[in-house]
Amino acid sequence: MSINAPLPDADVIIVGCGPSGMAAAVELAEAGCSVIVLDMQPTPGGQIFRNLEANLCDTSLAGQSLLAALGPAYRAGADLIQRFRACSRIDYRPQTTVWEVRPDGTVGWLQGMNVGYVRGRQVLLAHGAMERPVPFPGWTLPGVMTAGAVQTLLKAGHLKPSGRIVLAGTGPLLLLLANQLHQLGVKPALVGRTDRLSDSVRAMRHLRPGGLVLLVKGLGWLGRLKLAGVKSVTGLENLAADGAQSVESVSFTVGGKRQTLPCDLLIVHDGIVPAIDIPNAAGLRLQWDGPNASWRPATTPDGLGASTLPPEMSAGPCVLRVTGDARKIGGADAAMAHGRVAAQAILAALDHGAGPSAEALRAVDKALSVRPFLDAAFPPGLAQDLPDDDTIVCRCEELTAGDLRAKIRSGFRNMDALRGETRCGMGPCQGRNCMVTAARLLQDETRAAGCLPTFRGRPPIRPIPLGAVARLSGLAPRATIRLTLEDKPENASEDTVDAPAE
Amino acid sequence: MNESLTRPAFAYSSGLQPGPKMFSDLAPLTDAVTLSVDGQPVRARAGETVAACLLRAGVPYNRLTPVSGAPRLPYCMIGHCFECLVEIDGIGNRQACLTLVRDGMKVRRQDGAPPALEPSVP
Repeated sequence: MSINAPLPDADVIIVGCGPSGMAAAVELAEAGCSVIVLDMQPTPGGQIFRNLEANLCDTSLAGQSLLAALGPAYRAGADLIQRFRACSRIDYRPQTTVWEVRPDGTVGWLQGMNVGYVRGRQVLLAHGAMERPVPFPGWTLPGVMTAGAVQTLLKAGHLKPSGRIVLAGTGPLLLLLANQLHQLGVKPALVGRTDRLSDSVRAMRHLRPGGLVLLVKGLGWLGRLKLAGVKSVTGLENLAADGAQSVESVSFTVGGKRQTLPCDLLIVHDGIVPAIDIPNAAGLRLQWDGPNASWRPATTPDGLGASTLPPEMSAGPCVLRVTGDARKIGGADAAMAHGRVAAQAILAALDHGAGPSAEALRAVDKALSVRPFLDAAFPPGLAQDLPDDDTIVCRCEELTAGDLRAKIRSGFRNMDALRGETRCGMGPCQGRNCMVTAARLLQDETRAAGCLPTFRGRPPIRPIPLGAVARLSGLAPRATIRLTLEDKPENASEDTVDAPAE
Repeated sequence: MNESLTRPAFAYSSGLQPGPKMFSDLAPLTDAVTLSVDGQPVRARAGETVAACLLRAGVPYNRLTPVSGAPRLPYCMIGHCFECLVEIDGIGNRQACLTLVRDGMKVRRQDGAPPALEPSVP
């Protein structure tokens, strides 16, 4: 970088304070590094250990039964959170959203009405996963929520669902949540799984010793639900929610027969996928993960990302690493193991060590060894087929699959042209819920092959109040220069290439 | 505890009726704070999010979409879907699932796109 390069604010900036972010932060801080951890949530833990500290302190009867229902996997985060809190070298900044990350280690943040940039010599993206978007008829109705949303309300809102509840989809989280609800005295009207017995049979050849524990756990969940008399089906297809102002009924097909059930709350889950909003906007190369049917950042085993920006747009080498579920879906144990690997790689990059230890790398492999089994047992179901023309794809701009298909046929045959023409992906969620479906529709209509195309991500990737921008801090004029991106109209008089420093 | 404070009858400007109550408390509210939601007092658990508070209150929607006026409630609760957007203390389009409740906080549900420049605190 040029001589005007501002001094770094920390050795390492970590985005996200879940299992991988905390594990990396502790490893780095204990080795003497200064670490800034930026996280959207008010307390450490990520989604899996959400609100764990407060729930552990709750000695009331209701608090104890909630902890019992959430189980040992939830309490398992207590030790790591305690070690994280004990590190004085960690500058922990909760309730802070990240709206820009650049390959050179610059990170744009927003906390309340304060907004600014911080710079790290190295940056670790540990921002986690999201639930797979599942466009089906009626998925925008009030009363349709994801399994993760309901778990968050349990953990951090002490709220349990009531009324007529239907769970639909696939994956361990769906079955786990059904069991947690049952333990809290909530009986769902139906657990409808899209996976089939044939998936489980096929998955068996991927079973590794570590997967046996999961298999026993899963069979236990199924057994308890059966004992409790919770109705359950497999092979559910063509899910639809109906209602005027909120969900009133759900319909689905099982074994060729269409069924309809009255319903107040439809809980959907189709597995989790890496959140690629930050990597995509940072210009990191993405790759398609076939077994998980999702994008993931292309990284080295220790998490180093690959910048796709042309050299003239990058100030020095890419210092971004990705870890945890943001890199590859693996769950909390794999995330903590990889957080340590990424931290050791960062230490080596900062001339503090020899790189990831064989022991740390083995721990990652061991934790990830169960994934092929889970991927095979719970293939994407709700999102497997492309939606019908009448189904909304872009929730923010209320665009249907039919709207997008028509525009693609009329000539908008790449993602950014489609976005510019329709506003698909331009609403507040910035494509988080529509991008994968839009890309699949585009590829289907144009009969293209290869990695699914993405929208070009641009900062800010989360909305910033205008009043906050006026108070932006940490601005280094030369470091904030951005070249015009090639899919934007060129304006020769616009001085965006080499603005003078003040 | 006063049921009218956890689940008040909202003025439904759009003619929407309150839907079936989708969530209930694991335990009675203690350590509660009071927010104003569309001008009405609503009690909330200290430390919870605005989105959780609104779901307990049983509001039929957080916002009506700018495109068609369709009602929306939170979908993901972890900051990805932006369906929970409300106006908080005069600033529109705040993510209710990422904002913690505070005593005296003024929350307004959104009808379409919020005005960018007019002061809109009741």
